[in-house]
Amino acid sequence: MVSASEWAAPPTRTELIENLVSGVDRYNPNNVGILEDYLYHQIRSQEYDCLANLAILKLYQFNPDLYNPDVVINILIKALTAYPFPDFNLCISLLDERPFPANPDEPDPLPSLLPVLTSLYNLLQQCRFPAFWALYRSDKAESLRDNYTVECVGFEDSVREVVIRAVTPAFKRIGTDRLSTYLDLSGDDLTAYIEKLGWSLDAESGVATLPLNPDNQIVSTVVQENIQLPQLTKIIAHTQTVA
Amino acid sequence: MSQQRKAIWEADLDEELQDVDLNLAIGSYGQNDLYNDGTRPASLANDVLNRPSTVQSRIDEATLVAVQQQMAQQAAFASIPDVVKRFIVHFHQAVLENNLAEITVAYESGWNRLTEKFYAKTEWPEAEVIAPLVNDDQIFLILYRELYYRHVYSRLQPDIDDRFHSYENSCELFNYLLNSDGPVPLQLPEQWLWDIIDEFIYQFQSFCTWRTKVKSKTDEELQLLGEGNQVWSSYSVLNVLYSLIQKSKINEHILALQEGKSTEEIAEIVGEYGVRPLYRMLGYFSIIGLLRVHSLLGDFTLALKVMENVELNQKSPFTRVTACHVTTYYYVGFCYIMLRRYSDAIRAFVSILNFILRMRQYHTRSYQYDQINKTADRMYALFAICNALSPSRLDDNIFNTAKERFGEQITKMSRGEEGIPAFEELFIYACPKFISANPPPYEDPELLQAYIDDPPVEPIQRHLSLFLSEVRAQVPVPTLRSFLKLYTSLDAKKLANFLDADEEEMVQQMMVMKQASRSISRVENGKGLLDGQTISTSDLDFVIDDNMVHIAESTVGRRYAGWFIRNTEHAQRVYDTIKSSPLPPRKVNVTQTQPAQAAPAPPRNAGAKVAWGGIKVA
Repeated sequence: MVSASEWAAPPTRTELIENLVSGVDRYNPNNVGILEDYLYHQIRSQEYDCLANLAILKLYQFNPDLYNPDVVINILIKALTAYPFPDFNLCISLLDERPFPANPDEPDPLPSLLPVLTSLYNLLQQCRFPAFWALYRSDKAESLRDNYTVECVGFEDSVREVVIRAVTPAFKRIGTDRLSTYLDLSGDDLTAYIEKLGWSLDAESGVATLPLNPDNQIVSTVVQENIQLPQLTKIIAHTQTVA
Repeated sequence: MSQQRKAIWEADLDEELQDVDLNLAIGSYGQNDLYNDGTRPASLANDVLNRPSTVQSRIDEATLVAVQQQMAQQAAFASIPDVVKRFIVHFHQAVLENNLAEITVAYESGWNRLTEKFYAKTEWPEAEVIAPLVNDDQIFLILYRELYYRHVYSRLQPDIDDRFHSYENSCELFNYLLNSDGPVPLQLPEQWLWDIIDEFIYQFQSFCTWRTKVKSKTDEELQLLGEGNQVWSSYSVLNVLYSLIQKSKINEHILALQEGKSTEEIAEIVGEYGVRPLYRMLGYFSIIGLLRVHSLLGDFTLALKVMENVELNQKSPFTRVTACHVTTYYYVGFCYIMLRRYSDAIRAFVSILNFILRMRQYHTRSYQYDQINKTADRMYALFAICNALSPSRLDDNIFNTAKERFGEQITKMSRGEEGIPAFEELFIYACPKFISANPPPYEDPELLQAYIDDPPVEPIQRHLSLFLSEVRAQVPVPTLRSFLKLYTSLDAKKLANFLDADEEEMVQQMMVMKQASRSISRVENGKGLLDGQTISTSDLDFVIDDNMVHIAESTVGRRYAGWFIRNTEHAQRVYDTIKSSPLPPRKVNVTQTQPAQAAPAPPRNAGAKVAWGGIKVA
């Protein structure tokens, strides 16, 4: 699992963005363009930078006229793929009450898409992967798929990575049927994907074996007390002084 | 120690102030006629240090109004008790002389005592009324107003004028501190500095909450709000805090201290403002202030990020003011909860709750004590929540206290789906009073009407629903735990039968459980509060081997070392004491031992072991 320091400061972040995120300039409304461009860069190149995206949302919070629903939806999509980090909820925390409609001509797509996104996130939280794929492929998410996720490079693969992140610690061996429902892949695609992951596949019994990792090797431990010598110095020293 | 001081203060009050000529103070009021001609003493942002020069009264009406004002003020002045007048003069003297000890006493005990005695239900006299006592010293009046409004906000209900004026006063104060030529020659106790920042943020929060209640506003209020939308705006509050941090270069200061630089190097790094304790402490407290403001606005990562140079241990400067210490841990813990880092949150709460238990006996000064206790109570609730979501065996003591206080909710919370109302109850009780960054659209009556008809969700409800979604995801975990505890290996179908659930669903729930037992937590070498590594937080571990579930439980062995060492040392101490105490005097005279023998007859056996040489010889 990615450690928190990488999440807070991903190596793909440039220095310019770093200064923006860590300094006072993040409050300058003129800088929102830079951060938005960075977001689109993330979308196109399958990178992810949570804090920079949160900075965009914060600017929107203070300057409702900067609000751009497309940007918000893209941020939320990216945050979906970051599970189990709590990014999605953090983003929603910053989405203040409904911003005042600036442009009555262009309808705001966010209110209709937000429930869909939230349900997708809840399904991921509860590890209900088949249901996730079902909802994602359904009509309700059609607008989401057509307008947004199709632009986001590797969205489905990122979601599959989330699934793998959930499966790896819990399983030693997993049936391919189950795995295919989780990954929404079947047949040759599935085989190719498994091989890419480096897992070994037993085609006959249809079971994939996961490599050993710290999480799926369980040991029953008894936490013993470790008495250190320095703790006993006082007692031992006392025995010396007593004649 | 403060007891002692109080006595000195009270005892010497009359003698000390003999030399301050009260008559002179009151008499100079007459000379201030010129200042009061037709103009109210300025309380607006700009004329901080400029005294208006002689203003000629041009029109008779203006003079009449001025005279009436004077009379009203004189009446108000006369109604101030003498004790209060003396206190104000003394306080002013102390501030002028930068006598930190005296200021501390006046601020902490004098002000509170007089409030209790005279102003428990009313306001203190207005700054203009007491102005003559302090020779119209504007700086002191700004500080006085700060205390005056703090009193209004805490004991009374501030109205819209109070809110606007307190904002202006705060702006004046920060303007004076930040925009004068060079650092100001003022010295104030740390407690006061923290209270300034704390109160500033509190008034901001109070204003935001009041502002969102559109329906109950009068027309006049609506108009004022429509015009004054810069008052208490989020940007200005943040601006103040960031400016204080930048002016005092407090972040560079902390880094330099951590790198072990010498005092001269540090002085060079932080500049003329940063070396002065006033600015340094204000900068430091502003960091904590930012932590609080960002949490209130819902940006938890940024809140922790601004604290990245502050170390959470007992040596940090924020522990010098207890209220600040408690506030810091409360907000840090809360941010961790919203970031789903429950073990970090638990650790923060445990350390501060232990601290509060220990220092409770020393801090019984009334207003602070209540505040700290209330925060401690909320932290017990948050601790109970964290423990339900991520059970750990960190501190039984705190857990027992939490159980006493919230036992009912704790049992409910461990019961899965039914526990969700209990989570909600505790969360609402314990969370900070969230605010929304944007005011309702007072400038535009149409939008305002739309706002009234269809009000947006309150921030606290929003955060609550986010939190509950996390809780709901973990709902199946406690039941699974209880089953898994009973086995070392189990077929998945069998487990599904026990749970009366579909096998596939159950497997998914197990993945949730596995994820719930892993969370990010700070490790020893991690810098900054956002760092961390994944650790396992549960004692129950399992893995699924196609369709078999293998379970392993870790237990904690019996800990006897601490008990053993402590008791051994105690026994050693007793032994040493006995060995070094003087032996009872030898009884040389044999005849005298006879009655002595009769007396110790009952403890004879014990006495025989100790060498009572005298008796034996006889």
